[in-house]
Amino acid sequence: MKRAILLFLILAPRLHAQTTADGFALPQPGRAFVFPRDHGSHPEFRTEWWYVTGHLDGKDGHRFGFQVTFFRQARREDGKTLQLHLAHAALLDAQTGRFLHEERLNRAGWDAASSESTLAVQNGNWSLTLDETTQRLHIAATVKNEALLQLELETVKPLVIFGKDGVSRKGASDTAASHYLTWPRLKTSGTVKLGAVEHAVTGEAWMDHEFSSSQLEAGQVGWDWAALQLKDGREIMVYRMRRKDGALDAASTLAVVERGGNVRHLTSEAFTWEVLGIWKSPRSAAEYPNRVRLRFEGESLELKPLAADQEQDGGITQLPYWEGACDVIDSHGQVTGRAFLELAGYAGDLTGHLAPKAK
Amino acid sequence: MSTVLLILRRCALRHWRLAFKQQLALVLILALGSSVYLAVRLASNAALSGFETFTDGVTRQPDWTVQALTGSLHEADLREMRESLGPRPVSLLPVVEETVTPASDKGNGEIGSRPTWRLLGVDFVALLNLRSEAPAGLGATNMQSMRAGVYVSPKLGAKAGEDLRLIVDDRVITLKVAGIVPEVPGVPSLPAHLLLMDLPEAQTMLQRGDRVDRVEVLSQDSTLFPNLREETGGLLKAHWQVRDGANRRQLAGTMTQAFRLNLTILSLLALLVGGYLIFQALDGVVLRRRNEIGILKSLGVTDRAIQIAFLLESGLLGLCGGGLGILLGWLGAQAAVGGVTKTMNALYGATSEQQASLSTSEALLALSISILASLIAAWWPARMAARTPPAHMLGHHATPFEGGTVWRVEWIGWAMMLAAVLLAQLPVLRFENGTRLPLAGYTAALLWLVGAGLAASTILRLVARKKAMSAVWCIALSHLRRPTVRHRFAVAALASAVAMTTGMAVMVASFDHTMRGWIDRTMKADIYVSSAGAQSASSTHAITQGTVAELGQEPGVEELAFVQAKTLMWHGGEVLILGTNPAFAHKHDLYAWVQAPQLEKWWQAKDGITSAIMSESWSERFATHVGDVIDLAGHQVRVVAMNAEYGNERGSLTLPAAVFREWFDTDEAWRVALMLKPGVDAETVRSHIEAMQPGLSVFTNAHLRREALRIFRQTFSVTHALEVIGVIVAVVGLGLALTSLLLERRAVLATLHSLGMTRREIAQSAALEGLGVACAGAFTGIAAGLWLGWLLVYRINKQCFGWTLQFHAVWWHLAVLGVAVIATGMLVAALVGRWAALLPAEHTEE
Repeated sequence: MKRAILLFLILAPRLHAQTTADGFALPQPGRAFVFPRDHGSHPEFRTEWWYVTGHLDGKDGHRFGFQVTFFRQARREDGKTLQLHLAHAALLDAQTGRFLHEERLNRAGWDAASSESTLAVQNGNWSLTLDETTQRLHIAATVKNEALLQLELETVKPLVIFGKDGVSRKGASDTAASHYLTWPRLKTSGTVKLGAVEHAVTGEAWMDHEFSSSQLEAGQVGWDWAALQLKDGREIMVYRMRRKDGALDAASTLAVVERGGNVRHLTSEAFTWEVLGIWKSPRSAAEYPNRVRLRFEGESLELKPLAADQEQDGGITQLPYWEGACDVIDSHGQVTGRAFLELAGYAGDLTGHLAPKAK
Repeated sequence: MSTVLLILRRCALRHWRLAFKQQLALVLILALGSSVYLAVRLASNAALSGFETFTDGVTRQPDWTVQALTGSLHEADLREMRESLGPRPVSLLPVVEETVTPASDKGNGEIGSRPTWRLLGVDFVALLNLRSEAPAGLGATNMQSMRAGVYVSPKLGAKAGEDLRLIVDDRVITLKVAGIVPEVPGVPSLPAHLLLMDLPEAQTMLQRGDRVDRVEVLSQDSTLFPNLREETGGLLKAHWQVRDGANRRQLAGTMTQAFRLNLTILSLLALLVGGYLIFQALDGVVLRRRNEIGILKSLGVTDRAIQIAFLLESGLLGLCGGGLGILLGWLGAQAAVGGVTKTMNALYGATSEQQASLSTSEALLALSISILASLIAAWWPARMAARTPPAHMLGHHATPFEGGTVWRVEWIGWAMMLAAVLLAQLPVLRFENGTRLPLAGYTAALLWLVGAGLAASTILRLVARKKAMSAVWCIALSHLRRPTVRHRFAVAALASAVAMTTGMAVMVASFDHTMRGWIDRTMKADIYVSSAGAQSASSTHAITQGTVAELGQEPGVEELAFVQAKTLMWHGGEVLILGTNPAFAHKHDLYAWVQAPQLEKWWQAKDGITSAIMSESWSERFATHVGDVIDLAGHQVRVVAMNAEYGNERGSLTLPAAVFREWFDTDEAWRVALMLKPGVDAETVRSHIEAMQPGLSVFTNAHLRREALRIFRQTFSVTHALEVIGVIVAVVGLGLALTSLLLERRAVLATLHSLGMTRREIAQSAALEGLGVACAGAFTGIAAGLWLGWLLVYRINKQCFGWTLQFHAVWWHLAVLGVAVIATGMLVAALVGRWAALLPAEHTEE
């Protein structure tokens, strides 16, 4: 769903290289990132998200998949800027297949905010913060008043900046780009309380922080995205931008984060995405190709969802999408890692939603 | 049982057919009794439901409502609230709320005649997170559709895109109707007079900055957080005023409790008088069927079967009467709701007129009252019917029944009156939030009324001591000398009704008298100004400092002072805090002291503790005494004096203006008083201000005095109706009692007639007998009513409202009441006498 927010954007012609027509900043190559400031919010950009997904194992053998995501979306009208904060939280109990999810929307203000100096985002009682002393992240979130996640995340591998010269391209247009920062492997511990039962958990998480102003191109209808954490210490990030005519956009890419932290970007021709199975949602009737095989550089990795139904119904935004925990299976049928797969734009044309009027 | 049913079918139902009109009258009496009670109950419930709340309209009932200790909540408070709650899944909904008034509806010029609506500012974006708990259509499905303006209920009758001209504070503004919130089953719908606006827009329009009035808190327990609600309340209570979300309606209920209790008690007293009537009517039924009962008993029908058959019949009558009573009560409620709502509006404000709707429980209650009253009233006649030997029943010259010993022992009445006097000394029952229930006072009133009724027979005998001037007098007085139970009941009913009316009249007169004195003392300014939307003491319409300054610059104005007002929760109840310029009030001697301050310049505190003046209601409500230091919203306040304040019964505390501004962080005025230069015509200045400031209501001193008295009189409009019903019922009861007595005596009457007594003389005798009963009833009633008035003025009213009234009785009013009751009683008796004089010796059915 990290790119779902892109569908909310109004595609604006670029007047000059620095900003969009309505004055939002555009990603610039060679930007010198300064931390912790750049972990924080960039309100000069239209869209920004902090996107954490991960896998957790309880001491009692329980396995969970989780997602806690904070979006910021700005809109300008009549010279005024309205900042909206959207957030999603989801929890999959892999044993039972029970999938809880919740969506939340608030105006920027007392109950939703993102710091401009460090990583500190909040939406209602959900929060994601960086403790600068310990360099650990903290997540607190409830899902549907049925689950409570309280997690501490510790960086295992250094921060990755995807794209060329600090700019991740999403299309041929100059504006279709973002600054894309990722912690590809975060050692995670804490508790998951599901109903009355509290599980002490450990696991690994992935966190994207991305900001942009106009990165989708006309003709793009959706995307597939996956983040794989392999047992051999490598991580893979892949996204496919799908066009209205069914073709794959050339800006699609697959990036391999080597064990040592080096990143290699492969072009869209250098990998294949083979659909192995489709799940049809009984709610939205969308057909999600949620079982896929990736082939690149002689490797074959299958993403197999832990549960078929990991669809978020988009109660507020009316933008259903599928985002779920998967196992990664190699060509020998062995589990070689864990992944999160995102499938957006399968439930119809969503452009134009979630565009509140500025006051 | 088959015998009982047979009696019921062959006798009772046959009588119903033969004497249809009589049965109808009986059913009507029962219906009237239960309907009065039901109508008052429904009307007051309807008026109460007019206390519309945000929570009734926009979400499910919130678990808690949070307000600042004083003043408004700022964004920083909201942040602090969220932080204090940690990861708990609690929804916090900030709200701004203001009363607004449609500018087009100017009412009839009286205060309280213009409608009061509520404008709520709620965060529409945040409401999306409560989709299933908020009304549909508030932009919940598509935020693109969210437009600037107000969202209204379809019940308001406005159309989307229309302009609404509203008085907000001291301004007249135009708001566009952005949308109509549809009513969807299962989802809370918007009350008719609630306007919704997006929070930031409302804050801008109301010039609130980042301030909100309260936060609605939703925190449902779940297996994840099993004690979430309580935990949330506990955490928030550490810094803010937190009350149960359901309490707002309860608060309205508490506020109006005294008023509603008065109404209920009055309707119950009317029912008591009605009870006498029902008894007399059923007693008459037994009497008319003596022969039949005698025959049945001769045939071997058991006493028990006869008694059960009578009780069943009366139960059936009660059922019919109750059924009709429900209909009459509902109709009556529709008529009364306007009056009750108006009164509640004037007293408490912010209620809108509602339709009095009937619930099953209310209908069952009315039905039960009717059946129960019928059964109780029939118990004794049924018992007598069963116990009287057949020979007595069949004899045409049966001795008039004088009733059981218990009815003839007058000391019971005197004992009840003594008990009432003792009970009146007991203190009021106090509850946590300052609510009081004068239970002992009400019980005393009830005992006094019943006791006075029973003791009234003494007066009846005194009346009978009059020397007989002729045979007609002789016959009439002979009956009064040995009064039967029927005489006693007729006197008791009359005495109770007259006492009730007298007591109420004394209370109203005392109130009126005291109010006039208070108004003379406190209303000294030439002109009073308020927002045109301020229709009651509870209205939140305010006047901005800019407007106050403009008023001060009016050419004819010599001096200006204003009162600020805010409500506050204290000890679980809502109180009014006022801010005034004490030097101005002192200079013009505007306070009506109940206990004057020791220092002339009371506001100049020496020890750093804020000085304040409490109203009498405050003192009564919270048992606070002059000299006490109280903790109010984190501030130490010393109460230095007590003033009489008849404007509200919740209690008010007056602070020096500077302290008020510091506490509440506002300089908005609630009311402005203008002193004019000598020789300046107040009416001219009034007209000028009103023309310049369309958002203001401007009153000259004389006009405001009239309005104040009108509002207070309006308070008693409903009670007057109940008094009239009581007196009518009692006079009808007198007629019925005499009818029964004369029916019983029909053989004697026939004998008198054959001995040469003319019909006219028989009618005169009956009229004199009625006169005696009416005199005894009226005299006892007025005497008992004076003490009842004392009880109402010095005990019940003081305990309910905390107001000290000066006892005042308008004697000529009481004289008119007495004469009217006696004259009507005599007239009714004469009519009955004329009818009785024509009775044949063996009369069967009429």
